[in-house]
Amino acid sequence: MSLEIQNLHVRIEEREILRGLDLTVRKGETHALMGPNGSGKSTLANTIMGNPNYEVTEGRILFNGEDLTEADPDERARAGLFMAFQYPATIPGVSVANFLRMAVNARREEPIKVKEFGSMLGENMELLKIDRQFTSRYLNEGFSGGEKKRAEILQMAMLKPEIAVLDETDSGLDIDALRIVSGGVDALRGPEMGSLIITHYTRILDYIKPDFVHIMLDGRIVREGGPDLADTLEEQGYDFIREEVAAADAS
Amino acid sequence: MPASSADWLADARQAALEAYEAEPVPTWRRSGFWTTSLRNLDVDALEPRRYEAVADAAELPAVVRDALDDEPGALIVQRGGSTVHLRVDDDLAAQGVVVCSLEQAVADHGDLVREWYMRRLSETEGKFPAATAAFWTGGVFVHVPKNVRVERPIQSVYVIDEPGTAQYAHTLAVVGEHAECAIREYCLGDDIDGQALHAGAFELYARPGAKAKVAHFQDWGRGEIYDISTKRVEIARDAHVSWVPVHLGGRLTKQTLDIVTAEPGSDMRHTGLYFTERDEHLDLFTTDLHEAGHTTGDTVWKGALTGESRASYEGLIEIVENAQESHTYLQTHQMLLSQKAKGDAIPSLIVKTDSVSASHGGTVGELDEEQIFYMMSRGIPRIEAVRTLVEGYFEEVVQRLDDPGLEALVRRRIGEKLLAAEDQVREFVGHRAGAAQEA
Repeated sequence: MSLEIQNLHVRIEEREILRGLDLTVRKGETHALMGPNGSGKSTLANTIMGNPNYEVTEGRILFNGEDLTEADPDERARAGLFMAFQYPATIPGVSVANFLRMAVNARREEPIKVKEFGSMLGENMELLKIDRQFTSRYLNEGFSGGEKKRAEILQMAMLKPEIAVLDETDSGLDIDALRIVSGGVDALRGPEMGSLIITHYTRILDYIKPDFVHIMLDGRIVREGGPDLADTLEEQGYDFIREEVAAADAS
Repeated sequence: MPASSADWLADARQAALEAYEAEPVPTWRRSGFWTTSLRNLDVDALEPRRYEAVADAAELPAVVRDALDDEPGALIVQRGGSTVHLRVDDDLAAQGVVVCSLEQAVADHGDLVREWYMRRLSETEGKFPAATAAFWTGGVFVHVPKNVRVERPIQSVYVIDEPGTAQYAHTLAVVGEHAECAIREYCLGDDIDGQALHAGAFELYARPGAKAKVAHFQDWGRGEIYDISTKRVEIARDAHVSWVPVHLGGRLTKQTLDIVTAEPGSDMRHTGLYFTERDEHLDLFTTDLHEAGHTTGDTVWKGALTGESRASYEGLIEIVENAQESHTYLQTHQMLLSQKAKGDAIPSLIVKTDSVSASHGGTVGELDEEQIFYMMSRGIPRIEAVRTLVEGYFEEVVQRLDDPGLEALVRRRIGEKLLAAEDQVREFVGHRAGAAQEA
């Protein structure tokens, strides 16, 4: 059970953003992918999920051995992939509850029973400290930054993906919101889910300890290691790694 | 007919007939691509058809029975040129509420009708308003007396279910001082094979302190029904009207819809919805007219187009001289759901005074690929995502109906139209996704 990315090259509007990226995330593992702005982190997340604006020119995305490189986003989702968006879209006129029900039912043969859905929703809302009336609001309409991110994690909790990609879920959150959101993510971790946490900063990793850390620069992964790699990055910064990589390339 | 023999009305009809004969058949043109033409309508082949009345609502045409799903306080139905059904609940009658044909009202409530009849309408507004004023038969009259509160809606229906029909329709409604009521008017057509015309006039007067909810539900079906109508609502001091015209079908519709806050403290909420498909042509001009200061308005119109349909919405806010301290805004949105549909949504503003706030905005757009991607990333297939987004887009205006029965009917009809257009919507959206990838 794994997501395998092999030699991925991705273009957007004639510009190559990913330039041969390899990464494997197995169920039960937590990976952190770190990188400065413009390194291609969000491009990777969007490409994994099949955003039609991103064009794969080379390489493959395998999920449980199946090639999903050309699959539509809804097929990927039903196969067990999930992405928490950095900037989730607003869906006017569709309540959080209705949206969740639609999404849950999209991966089932029989629609979920009202009672089962209700109790599942109740539990997960408690986990994320979400107010009851939240579910009758239109999805993301007028939501604060923290509410949007909580709504993303609520969806993740309801959909129980095998592999989840969290695209800068920590960005724009104050400390309290960060604690709640990352606490929720941490609680959802386990042998049944693998996650790829994409972040610019190390602070979310204070709440969610990753098993593996990858550092990305200019569309490729340039360093990989355990949790201590994040500490090194915190102390020395991206410039240090950039210089190291440049030196290695030159020699 | 004795009712129509009232002298004042005979004089009014004569004046209208003269105006009708003097006017040519109009073509409506304005800058850009827009023209509304009646060259395909053979008016001379149409005639007002007469029908026998039915006492039992179960004997009404199916298209009427399907639309009316709950028990109204009063129901009046005009089929072709004849009033074929009238039922007013005893408790409404006991409160002094009058619902009957306009013909009957001229006979029974002559002074009241004469006081209000065409106060805000004129036979000089064009050939079709003149024709309606000259030729109307049947008609609808509603009067809710002062201080009376009517709980259940008053429903009027105009139905056309045979080709060759010319229906000249006139509704007059007066909601008395501090009275409250909900009025729903339906224009319903069967899927007739041939042409028909509905030339309508609607006038409603909300007296000081009154509160009225007014809905127009138009669905002329798939036949060749032309609708050329003028609807006008006047709101007096401290009165409030929420008006929701809904247009869900008709071969060609040309309507003028005006709502007037006539005295200080009057307040309008004006909400419109349209969905055109196939080769339908819809041309709407609305005016929010603020005739007095300290009046308020809130207007939202939303539309969607599929097939090769054409829809034009023009919405004007007009604030007259000396109408200071009026506050109003108008928003209009239009969504194109097929490559061949064409439309526009034009808000405009005429302000002749100072110390007012008035704003307006209009958009014409397509579905947002980012929203579709977001929904698909949750496992929702593209076509279902599109359907949900369009339904969600309309939800804001559907809810402003504030009428569960009618809301359900409108949602159902929107769902059916989206289903009917599924292939073109999928192709259109797919095409756009492809184009984005190539970019």
